[in-house]
Amino acid sequence: MQRPAREPTESVEKAFARGGERALEAAYRQHGSLVFTFCRRTLDEARARDVTQEVFISAWKSRERYDPAKGSLAGWLVAITRNRIIDNVRAERRHSDRRATDDPGEVPVEAQVERIGDSLMIAAALRCLSDRTRQVVKLHYFDDLTHRQIAERMSLPLGTVKSDLRRGLARIRHQLESAYG
Amino acid sequence: MDDRPVGRTDADLEALLRDVAAEDLELLDPPDDVWAEIESAMQAADNTRDTPQDAGVVPLKPRRRAARRVVLGVAAVLILVAVALSVTLTRAEPAQVIATATLSYDPESFDPLGARARADVELRVREQKHSVAIVGASLPSPEVGADLEVWLIRPDGDGNVADLISLGVVDPADPGTLDIPADYDPATYSVVDISVEPRDGDTGHSGRSILRGPLRDT
Repeated sequence: MQRPAREPTESVEKAFARGGERALEAAYRQHGSLVFTFCRRTLDEARARDVTQEVFISAWKSRERYDPAKGSLAGWLVAITRNRIIDNVRAERRHSDRRATDDPGEVPVEAQVERIGDSLMIAAALRCLSDRTRQVVKLHYFDDLTHRQIAERMSLPLGTVKSDLRRGLARIRHQLESAYG
Repeated sequence: MDDRPVGRTDADLEALLRDVAAEDLELLDPPDDVWAEIESAMQAADNTRDTPQDAGVVPLKPRRRAARRVVLGVAAVLILVAVALSVTLTRAEPAQVIATATLSYDPESFDPLGARARADVELRVREQKHSVAIVGASLPSPEVGADLEVWLIRPDGDGNVADLISLGVVDPADPGTLDIPADYDPATYSVVDISVEPRDGDTGHSGRSILRGPLRDT
Protein backbone atom coordinates (compact mmCIF):
# COMPACT_ATOMS: atom_id res chain seq x y z
CA MET A 1 0.00 0.00 0.00
CA GLN A 2 1.37 3.41 -0.86
CA ARG A 3 1.30 5.82 1.99
CA PRO A 4 3.18 8.94 2.97
CA ALA A 5 6.65 8.12 4.18
CA ARG A 6 6.72 10.54 7.04
CA GLU A 7 5.12 9.56 10.25
CA PRO A 8 1.58 10.61 10.86
CA THR A 9 1.53 7.90 13.53
CA GLU A 10 1.84 9.90 16.71
CA SER A 11 -1.74 11.01 17.05
CA VAL A 12 -3.14 7.63 16.04
CA GLU A 13 -1.01 5.95 18.68
CA LYS A 14 -2.15 8.29 21.41
CA ALA A 15 -5.76 8.16 20.32
CA PHE A 16 -5.58 4.38 20.32
CA ALA A 17 -4.09 4.23 23.79
CA ARG A 18 -6.88 6.34 25.26
CA GLY A 19 -9.55 4.55 23.28
CA GLY A 20 -10.53 7.52 21.18
CA GLU A 21 -13.49 7.35 18.86
CA ARG A 22 -12.60 5.77 15.51
CA ALA A 23 -9.05 5.17 16.75
CA LEU A 24 -9.36 1.46 16.02
CA GLU A 25 -10.35 2.20 12.46
CA ALA A 26 -7.48 4.67 12.13
CA ALA A 27 -5.07 2.06 13.49
CA TYR A 28 -6.46 -0.48 11.04
CA ARG A 29 -6.13 1.91 8.10
CA GLN A 30 -2.54 2.60 9.10
CA HIS A 31 -1.34 -0.86 10.09
CA GLY A 32 -3.87 -3.28 8.59
CA SER A 33 -1.61 -4.05 5.65
CA LEU A 34 1.38 -4.67 7.95
CA VAL A 35 -0.60 -7.13 10.08
CA PHE A 36 -2.29 -8.79 7.10
CA THR A 37 0.98 -9.13 5.20
CA PHE A 38 2.60 -10.78 8.22
CA CYS A 39 -0.34 -13.21 8.42
CA ARG A 40 -0.43 -13.88 4.71
CA ARG A 41 3.29 -14.62 4.56
CA THR A 42 2.83 -17.35 7.15
CA LEU A 43 -0.78 -18.56 6.87
CA ASP A 44 -3.27 -19.36 4.15
CA GLU A 45 -5.70 -16.68 2.97
CA ALA A 46 -8.64 -17.69 5.17
CA ARG A 47 -6.60 -17.93 8.33
CA ALA A 48 -4.71 -14.76 7.48
CA ARG A 49 -8.04 -12.93 7.36
CA ASP A 50 -9.19 -14.43 10.63
CA VAL A 51 -5.96 -13.69 12.46
CA THR A 52 -5.90 -10.12 11.15
CA GLN A 53 -9.35 -9.62 12.63
CA GLU A 54 -8.42 -11.26 15.90
CA VAL A 55 -5.31 -9.12 16.25
CA PHE A 56 -7.18 -5.83 15.90
CA ILE A 57 -10.04 -6.91 18.15
CA SER A 58 -7.65 -8.20 20.78
CA ALA A 59 -5.45 -5.11 20.54
CA TRP A 60 -8.42 -2.82 20.94
CA LYS A 61 -9.72 -4.70 23.95
CA SER A 62 -6.35 -4.59 25.63
CA ARG A 63 -5.41 -1.09 24.53
CA GLU A 64 -4.86 -0.04 28.15
CA ARG A 65 -1.74 -2.15 28.06
CA TYR A 66 -0.35 -0.21 25.15
CA ASP A 67 1.91 2.65 26.18
CA PRO A 68 2.90 4.97 23.30
CA ALA A 69 5.88 6.12 25.35
CA LYS A 70 7.33 2.64 25.28
CA GLY A 71 7.06 1.84 21.61
CA SER A 72 5.25 2.11 18.35
CA LEU A 73 1.74 0.86 17.80
CA ALA A 74 3.05 -1.02 14.76
CA GLY A 75 5.51 -2.87 16.98
CA TRP A 76 2.86 -3.73 19.52
CA LEU A 77 0.49 -5.01 16.84
CA VAL A 78 3.22 -7.08 15.22
CA ALA A 79 4.05 -8.68 18.58
CA ILE A 80 0.40 -9.66 19.04
CA THR A 81 0.27 -10.92 15.46
CA ARG A 82 3.42 -12.97 15.89
CA ASN A 83 2.01 -14.73 18.94
CA ARG A 84 -1.28 -15.45 17.19
CA ILE A 85 0.46 -16.80 14.13
CA ILE A 86 2.66 -19.07 16.21
CA ASP A 87 -0.42 -20.33 18.07
CA ASN A 88 -2.07 -21.06 14.73
CA VAL A 89 0.98 -22.77 13.32
CA ARG A 90 1.34 -24.93 16.41
CA ALA A 91 -2.32 -25.87 16.36
CA GLU A 92 -2.07 -26.73 12.69
CA ARG A 93 1.00 -28.81 13.31
CA ARG A 94 -0.68 -30.76 16.10
CA HIS A 95 -3.60 -31.34 13.82
CA SER A 96 -1.51 -32.55 10.90
CA ASP A 97 0.59 -34.74 13.22
CA ARG A 98 -2.54 -36.44 14.44
CA ARG A 99 -3.80 -37.04 10.96
CA ALA A 100 -0.33 -37.90 9.78
CA THR A 101 -1.17 -36.49 6.39
CA ASP A 102 -0.10 -33.52 4.32
CA ASP A 103 3.35 -32.11 4.47
CA PRO A 104 4.19 -30.29 7.66
CA GLY A 105 7.16 -28.87 5.78
CA GLU A 106 4.77 -26.28 4.42
CA VAL A 107 4.15 -24.90 7.89
CA PRO A 108 6.68 -22.24 8.79
CA VAL A 109 8.59 -22.83 11.98
CA GLU A 110 8.62 -20.27 14.78
CA ALA A 111 12.04 -18.99 13.77
CA GLN A 112 10.73 -18.20 10.31
CA VAL A 113 7.75 -16.40 11.79
CA GLU A 114 10.12 -14.36 13.93
CA ARG A 115 12.30 -13.53 10.97
CA ILE A 116 9.39 -12.41 8.82
CA GLY A 117 8.06 -10.32 11.70
CA ASP A 118 11.45 -8.71 12.18
CA SER A 119 11.76 -7.94 8.50
CA LEU A 120 8.30 -6.43 8.29
CA MET A 121 9.01 -4.33 11.36
CA ILE A 122 12.14 -3.06 9.71
CA ALA A 123 10.11 -2.29 6.59
CA ALA A 124 7.61 -0.40 8.76
CA ALA A 125 10.43 1.46 10.50
CA LEU A 126 11.97 2.40 7.16
CA ARG A 127 8.70 3.91 6.04
CA CYS A 128 8.77 6.20 9.07
CA LEU A 129 12.18 7.63 8.21
CA SER A 130 12.66 10.77 6.20
CA ASP A 131 13.25 10.13 2.51
CA ARG A 132 16.94 10.98 2.82
CA THR A 133 17.60 8.85 5.88
CA ARG A 134 15.74 5.94 4.36
CA GLN A 135 17.77 6.20 1.20
CA VAL A 136 21.03 6.30 3.19
CA VAL A 137 20.02 3.26 5.24
CA LYS A 138 19.01 1.30 2.15
CA LEU A 139 22.21 2.14 0.26
CA HIS A 140 24.33 1.07 3.23
CA TYR A 141 22.56 -2.10 4.28
CA PHE A 142 20.87 -3.31 1.12
CA ASP A 143 23.38 -2.19 -1.49
CA ASP A 144 26.47 -2.49 0.75
CA LEU A 145 27.81 0.97 -0.11
CA THR A 146 30.37 2.47 2.27
CA HIS A 147 29.69 5.72 4.09
CA ARG A 148 31.99 7.51 1.66
CA GLN A 149 30.31 6.03 -1.42
CA ILE A 150 26.90 7.09 -0.10
CA ALA A 151 28.21 10.60 0.63
CA GLU A 152 29.45 10.88 -2.94
CA ARG A 153 26.37 9.43 -4.55
CA MET A 154 23.96 11.59 -2.57
CA SER A 155 26.20 14.67 -2.42
CA LEU A 156 26.06 14.74 1.35
CA PRO A 157 28.77 15.46 3.92
CA LEU A 158 30.22 12.25 5.36
CA GLY A 159 29.10 13.28 8.84
CA THR A 160 25.50 13.60 7.64
CA VAL A 161 25.58 10.08 6.23
CA LYS A 162 26.86 8.76 9.53
CA SER A 163 24.32 10.63 11.60
CA ASP A 164 21.52 9.56 9.25
CA LEU A 165 22.58 5.95 9.68
CA ARG A 166 22.70 6.38 13.44
CA ARG A 167 19.25 7.95 13.49
CA GLY A 168 17.86 5.29 11.21
CA LEU A 169 19.24 2.50 13.34
CA ALA A 170 17.87 4.12 16.51
CA ARG A 171 14.45 4.37 14.91
CA ILE A 172 14.50 0.74 13.85
CA ARG A 173 15.62 -0.25 17.32
CA HIS A 174 12.68 1.66 18.76
CA GLN A 175 10.30 -0.21 16.47
CA LEU A 176 11.78 -3.60 17.21
CA GLU A 177 11.96 -3.10 20.94
CA SER A 178 8.32 -2.29 21.08
CA ALA A 179 7.72 -5.55 19.26
CA TYR A 180 9.56 -7.49 21.92
CA GLY A 181 8.99 -5.40 25.02
CA MET B 1 4.14 -9.91 25.21
CA ASP B 2 6.71 -12.45 26.23
CA ASP B 3 9.91 -12.69 28.15
CA ARG B 4 12.63 -12.24 25.66
CA PRO B 5 15.70 -10.23 26.42
CA VAL B 6 15.56 -6.67 25.19
CA GLY B 7 18.36 -4.50 24.02
CA ARG B 8 19.54 -5.85 20.72
CA THR B 9 23.07 -4.95 19.85
CA ASP B 10 23.79 -2.87 16.80
CA ALA B 11 25.36 -5.96 15.26
CA ASP B 12 22.04 -7.82 15.66
CA LEU B 13 20.12 -4.95 14.10
CA GLU B 14 22.55 -4.60 11.24
CA ALA B 15 22.38 -8.34 10.56
CA LEU B 16 18.59 -8.11 10.47
CA LEU B 17 18.73 -5.15 8.12
CA ARG B 18 21.04 -6.93 5.72
CA ASP B 19 18.69 -9.90 5.85
CA VAL B 20 15.61 -7.96 4.74
CA ALA B 21 14.29 -9.37 1.48
CA ALA B 22 12.86 -7.12 -1.18
CA GLU B 23 9.47 -8.80 -0.77
CA ASP B 24 9.42 -7.71 2.88
CA LEU B 25 9.17 -4.12 1.75
CA GLU B 26 5.98 -4.81 -0.20
CA LEU B 27 2.84 -4.84 1.89
CA LEU B 28 -0.41 -6.51 0.88
CA ASP B 29 -3.70 -4.79 1.50
CA PRO B 30 -6.19 -6.89 3.42
CA PRO B 31 -9.39 -7.76 1.52
CA ASP B 32 -11.95 -4.99 1.75
CA ASP B 33 -14.42 -6.88 3.92
CA VAL B 34 -11.95 -7.64 6.73
CA TRP B 35 -12.59 -4.29 8.33
CA ALA B 36 -16.37 -4.78 8.08
CA GLU B 37 -16.00 -8.07 9.90
CA ILE B 38 -13.93 -6.49 12.65
CA GLU B 39 -16.66 -3.89 13.09
CA SER B 40 -19.32 -6.62 13.25
CA ALA B 41 -17.37 -8.57 15.82
CA MET B 42 -16.84 -5.48 17.93
CA GLN B 43 -20.53 -4.77 17.73
CA ALA B 44 -21.36 -8.31 18.81
CA ALA B 45 -19.01 -7.98 21.76
CA ASP B 46 -20.51 -4.65 22.75
CA ASN B 47 -24.05 -6.02 22.53
CA THR B 48 -23.08 -8.96 24.70
CA ARG B 49 -21.73 -6.57 27.27
CA ASP B 50 -25.09 -4.85 27.12
CA THR B 51 -23.55 -1.44 26.83
CA PRO B 52 -25.10 1.31 24.76
CA GLN B 53 -23.65 1.45 21.28
CA ASP B 54 -23.54 4.69 19.41
CA ALA B 55 -21.29 3.69 16.59
CA GLY B 56 -24.11 3.49 14.10
CA VAL B 57 -26.15 0.89 12.32
CA VAL B 58 -24.86 -2.58 11.57
CA PRO B 59 -24.60 -2.74 7.81
CA LEU B 60 -26.70 -5.39 6.13
CA LYS B 61 -24.61 -8.29 4.96
CA PRO B 62 -25.21 -11.23 2.66
CA ARG B 63 -26.68 -14.26 4.44
CA ARG B 64 -23.61 -16.37 4.09
CA ARG B 65 -21.77 -14.02 6.40
CA ALA B 66 -24.16 -14.66 9.27
CA ALA B 67 -22.62 -17.87 10.55
CA ARG B 68 -19.19 -16.40 10.33
CA ARG B 69 -20.32 -13.37 12.25
CA VAL B 70 -21.73 -15.51 15.05
CA VAL B 71 -18.44 -17.37 15.29
CA LEU B 72 -16.56 -14.10 15.31
CA GLY B 73 -18.94 -12.74 17.91
CA VAL B 74 -18.30 -15.70 20.18
CA ALA B 75 -14.58 -15.41 19.53
CA ALA B 76 -14.69 -11.73 20.36
CA VAL B 77 -16.46 -12.44 23.64
CA LEU B 78 -13.87 -15.06 24.54
CA ILE B 79 -11.09 -12.65 23.69
CA LEU B 80 -12.83 -9.98 25.71
CA VAL B 81 -13.02 -12.26 28.76
CA ALA B 82 -9.38 -13.29 28.39
CA VAL B 83 -8.25 -9.72 27.96
CA ALA B 84 -10.38 -8.49 30.85
CA LEU B 85 -8.80 -11.15 33.05
CA SER B 86 -5.30 -10.29 31.96
CA VAL B 87 -5.91 -6.58 32.36
CA THR B 88 -7.26 -7.20 35.85
CA LEU B 89 -4.24 -9.31 36.73
CA THR B 90 -1.87 -6.76 35.26
CA ARG B 91 -3.51 -3.96 37.12
CA ALA B 92 -3.41 -5.86 40.36
CA GLU B 93 0.33 -5.46 40.57
CA PRO B 94 1.70 -2.09 39.51
CA ALA B 95 5.46 -1.70 39.22
CA GLN B 96 7.10 -1.10 42.58
CA VAL B 97 10.36 0.68 43.18
CA ILE B 98 12.44 -1.59 45.39
CA ALA B 99 15.82 0.11 45.16
CA THR B 100 17.35 3.31 43.86
CA ALA B 101 20.80 4.47 42.86
CA THR B 102 22.37 7.85 42.33
CA LEU B 103 25.01 7.46 39.67
CA SER B 104 28.16 9.52 39.90
CA TYR B 105 31.22 10.35 37.85
CA ASP B 106 34.70 9.28 38.91
CA PRO B 107 37.21 11.80 37.52
CA GLU B 108 40.07 9.39 38.23
CA SER B 109 39.01 6.57 35.96
CA PHE B 110 35.95 7.55 33.92
CA ASP B 111 35.61 8.96 30.43
CA PRO B 112 35.68 12.79 30.44
CA LEU B 113 32.36 12.78 28.57
CA GLY B 114 30.71 11.96 31.87
CA ALA B 115 32.12 14.94 33.75
CA ARG B 116 28.82 16.81 33.82
CA ALA B 117 26.46 13.84 33.51
CA ARG B 118 24.08 12.78 36.19
CA ALA B 119 21.37 10.16 36.53
CA ASP B 120 19.23 8.51 39.15
CA VAL B 121 18.07 4.97 38.71
CA GLU B 122 15.06 3.11 40.04
CA LEU B 123 15.00 -0.66 40.27
CA ARG B 124 11.41 -1.64 39.61
CA VAL B 125 9.67 -4.97 39.93
CA ARG B 126 6.38 -5.98 38.41
CA GLU B 127 5.06 -9.51 38.13
CA GLN B 128 8.45 -10.74 39.29
CA LYS B 129 10.18 -9.02 36.41
CA HIS B 130 12.82 -6.46 37.19
CA SER B 131 13.62 -3.38 35.22
CA VAL B 132 15.89 -0.40 35.57
CA ALA B 133 14.38 3.03 34.98
CA ILE B 134 16.72 5.93 34.40
CA VAL B 135 15.08 8.99 35.86
CA GLY B 136 16.14 12.57 36.32
CA ALA B 137 19.02 12.08 33.96
CA SER B 138 21.20 14.53 32.13
CA LEU B 139 23.25 12.43 29.78
CA PRO B 140 25.76 13.56 27.17
CA SER B 141 25.54 12.47 23.54
CA PRO B 142 28.54 10.39 22.60
CA GLU B 143 30.52 10.92 19.45
CA VAL B 144 29.10 9.81 16.11
CA GLY B 145 29.43 6.05 15.79
CA ALA B 146 29.04 5.41 19.50
CA ASP B 147 26.18 4.87 21.93
CA LEU B 148 25.53 5.05 25.63
CA GLU B 149 25.04 1.58 27.07
CA VAL B 150 23.67 0.58 30.47
CA TRP B 151 25.21 -2.30 32.41
CA LEU B 152 24.60 -4.13 35.65
CA ILE B 153 27.77 -5.09 37.48
CA ARG B 154 28.15 -7.91 40.00
CA PRO B 155 30.86 -6.66 42.35
CA ASP B 156 33.17 -9.04 44.22
CA GLY B 157 33.98 -8.71 47.92
CA ASP B 158 36.50 -5.96 47.20
CA GLY B 159 34.15 -3.91 45.08
CA ASN B 160 35.83 -4.92 41.83
CA VAL B 161 33.88 -6.10 38.79
CA ALA B 162 33.24 -9.85 39.05
CA ASP B 163 30.77 -9.97 36.16
CA LEU B 164 28.58 -7.63 34.17
CA ILE B 165 25.64 -7.75 31.79
CA SER B 166 24.45 -5.27 29.23
CA LEU B 167 20.88 -4.04 29.57
CA GLY B 168 21.03 -2.24 26.24
CA VAL B 169 21.82 1.11 24.69
CA VAL B 170 19.87 4.21 25.58
CA ASP B 171 18.97 7.46 23.91
CA PRO B 172 20.73 10.19 25.94
CA ALA B 173 17.70 12.45 25.55
CA ASP B 174 15.25 9.78 26.65
CA PRO B 175 16.97 6.89 28.41
CA GLY B 176 13.73 5.24 29.55
CA THR B 177 13.42 1.82 31.13
CA LEU B 178 15.41 -1.34 30.47
CA ASP B 179 14.37 -4.85 31.47
CA ILE B 180 16.70 -7.07 33.42
CA PRO B 181 16.92 -10.60 31.99
CA ALA B 182 15.05 -13.07 34.20
CA ASP B 183 18.10 -15.14 35.11
CA TYR B 184 20.02 -12.24 36.66
CA ASP B 185 19.35 -11.29 40.26
CA PRO B 186 19.64 -7.54 40.83
CA ALA B 187 20.48 -8.30 44.46
CA THR B 188 23.89 -9.52 43.27
CA TYR B 189 24.11 -7.54 40.02
CA SER B 190 23.74 -4.48 42.15
CA VAL B 191 25.79 -1.74 40.51
CA VAL B 192 24.50 0.30 37.56
CA ASP B 193 27.05 1.56 35.05
CA ILE B 194 26.64 3.70 31.94
CA SER B 195 29.41 3.64 29.36
CA VAL B 196 30.28 4.98 25.93
CA GLU B 197 30.35 2.09 23.46
CA PRO B 198 31.78 2.62 19.98
CA ARG B 199 29.99 0.60 17.32
CA ASP B 200 33.01 -1.54 16.67
CA GLY B 201 31.33 -4.93 16.82
CA ASP B 202 32.83 -5.64 20.25
CA THR B 203 29.94 -6.44 22.59
CA GLY B 204 32.09 -6.21 25.73
CA HIS B 205 32.38 -3.13 27.94
CA SER B 206 34.61 -0.49 26.34
CA GLY B 207 36.11 0.58 29.66
CA ARG B 208 34.78 4.10 29.01
CA SER B 209 32.33 4.45 31.89
CA ILE B 210 30.71 7.83 32.42
CA LEU B 211 28.53 7.14 35.48
CA ARG B 212 28.20 4.41 38.05
CA GLY B 213 26.43 3.80 41.35
CA PRO B 214 25.21 1.02 43.64
CA LEU B 215 21.52 0.19 44.03
CA ARG B 216 20.28 0.62 47.58
CA ASP B 217 17.03 -0.83 48.86
CA THR B 218 14.27 1.68 49.44
